[in-house]
Amino acid sequence: MSLALAVMILMIALIIAALAIYLIATIGELIKINQGLASVLNSVGEIVAKSAPVNGVVDAINGNLVAGRNLLENLFIKKAGSDTAGLVESLFPGEGAKWNQRVGKNYPVVNTGIVYTRGTQILASLGRGAPIGAAHAKGPAVRDPKYATTAAAMLYPASGRQPQRPGEVSGRRQGLAACVRGRRHAWRAAA
Amino acid sequence: MVIAAISGSLALWVMDLILVASLLLLGGLLKGILGAAKSIVPRIDAIDGVAKAGSKDLDAVVLLLTTQNYISQIIGSVANYGGSLDVALPDKAD
Repeated sequence: MSLALAVMILMIALIIAALAIYLIATIGELIKINQGLASVLNSVGEIVAKSAPVNGVVDAINGNLVAGRNLLENLFIKKAGSDTAGLVESLFPGEGAKWNQRVGKNYPVVNTGIVYTRGTQILASLGRGAPIGAAHAKGPAVRDPKYATTAAAMLYPASGRQPQRPGEVSGRRQGLAACVRGRRHAWRAAA
Repeated sequence: MVIAAISGSLALWVMDLILVASLLLLGGLLKGILGAAKSIVPRIDAIDGVAKAGSKDLDAVVLLLTTQNYISQIIGSVANYGGSLDVALPDKAD
């Protein structure tokens, strides 16, 4: 046998050996991949099974919430009318215009919360005639927020009575204070 | 005769060279395939871990049924409350 022929046989044997070694190793890795994918497939199947009812439940929840929202919005419009956008704006700044857009109305968007206390708004909603919405949200406050009680009283003055100014003590309170002071003196004298 | 023997031996040596080159090329390619197959395994394991964690997280989905029930009850209460308010408060006359 010539040397060249022997080398050729050796090369062929080496090629076959390399093919066998690498292909067997590759088959081993492919088996591992197959096992891993089977495990992944189980987990994905669990995810699919667990998430299957989510759509129906979320749709039902959403339907209930939309019905509740529509009910409350319609009630709100029925009771507050054109003040709704202003009330929404005062509670959630920037939402008044969106409210108008959603309900398809063009109510004035005035941040009533800046100008009036909640009590005044309730009185106005009861038809007492407070000028809610008369001022623009960017304008000056109609009433002084520091003396809210006095300002609210000035909105609804009783006939024949002047609203009490801040820091002013009424005659009735002065009389009550004098009575208390007199009783204290009497107790001290008795002791 | 001698020329034919020499040319036959040369052909064998050329064939040997081709086989060596083939061995190197084949070895490189198979090594690449094996490396790619080995790199897939840890990623599959990572995906498996994430999928199991996701499946475990979805165990809370059952609670949505309870939430749905609660929301249904709350909306019923809101409807009753709204009906009472509708009766109690006068409508706004715009």
